[in-house]
Amino acid sequence: MSELPQLDPVIHAQARLRVTVALAGLHAGDQITFPRLQQLLDMTAGNLSTHLRKLEDAEYVEITKAHEHRTPVTLVRLTARGRTAFESYTKTLHRLLDATGGD
Amino acid sequence: MDDEPMSAEESLNLIAQQNRRMRRELGGGPARMLAAWALAWIVGWGFTYVAVQPGVAIPGWVGGVLTGVLFVAAIVYTGYVGARAGRGIRGPSKTVGAMYGYSWALSSMGLSVIDIRISNFGSLSSAQVSLLWSGSWLLLTGVLYLAGGMLWQDKLMYGLGAWMIVSAALSVLVGFPANFLVLAGCGGGGFLLAAIVYFVREKTGRC
Repeated sequence: MSELPQLDPVIHAQARLRVTVALAGLHAGDQITFPRLQQLLDMTAGNLSTHLRKLEDAEYVEITKAHEHRTPVTLVRLTARGRTAFESYTKTLHRLLDATGGD
Repeated sequence: MDDEPMSAEESLNLIAQQNRRMRRELGGGPARMLAAWALAWIVGWGFTYVAVQPGVAIPGWVGGVLTGVLFVAAIVYTGYVGARAGRGIRGPSKTVGAMYGYSWALSSMGLSVIDIRISNFGSLSSAQVSLLWSGSWLLLTGVLYLAGGMLWQDKLMYGLGAWMIVSAALSVLVGFPANFLVLAGCGGGGFLLAAIVYFVREKTGRC
């Protein structure tokens, strides 16, 4: 049996996987505000911040602070690198399932 | 909880689950929007068809008023669902969505002016005026759905547009008052069919 492929540890954690899926679900080039992302994920602000920082450190996610009508907004988007990482992550998942028979 | 190791299967399930959530929340529920329009067209135009039949003791304007009220309700509902789905999203898709919405408003106003002006010349019989309105509005609806289909690369939406254009031609060919039947049956029926297809897709998770 060939060696099992490794899953990207940045994405392969429940919370960060859901964050990544949510961001990958946006159209390329679109950004989402922090509160809306929080609502789509049912996460606390603190929890989401922590995971976003880890994704940002890996350069999978880009976080921009902007002002709209003098109100500060935090905008989040998946980088091209993040999108590629997520695609290869799902490919690896399918390969793993095939390798283990996927009963 | 977060640090618990996930199997590949659990991971894929989680992806599918979050994707369903995203589709439901960001898709704006095309099924619900189209169902609202199906209701407005079928009830409004269906009622108008009945009202214009000889021997029916309903004044002709009642059908028009009812259809108008149902259309305003459908516009408000569609705007609300669309705005709710798009909140917190910034970027190209938001701009495209807004431009598409404005296209409906602009072209509807333009067509209203043209149709009202031609109707007011008084040279057309009321039956011919009725055909002018049903034909031109079905055509405009069709063209805008063609545009939507192109924008979002949605073949179903494009197909709905093509169907509306066929209905536009049919409505002027069958003449008054059967044109109202075409509006209710083919127009409203087209919306209903599309709503059902989107609804089934949402449930089965196909995008």
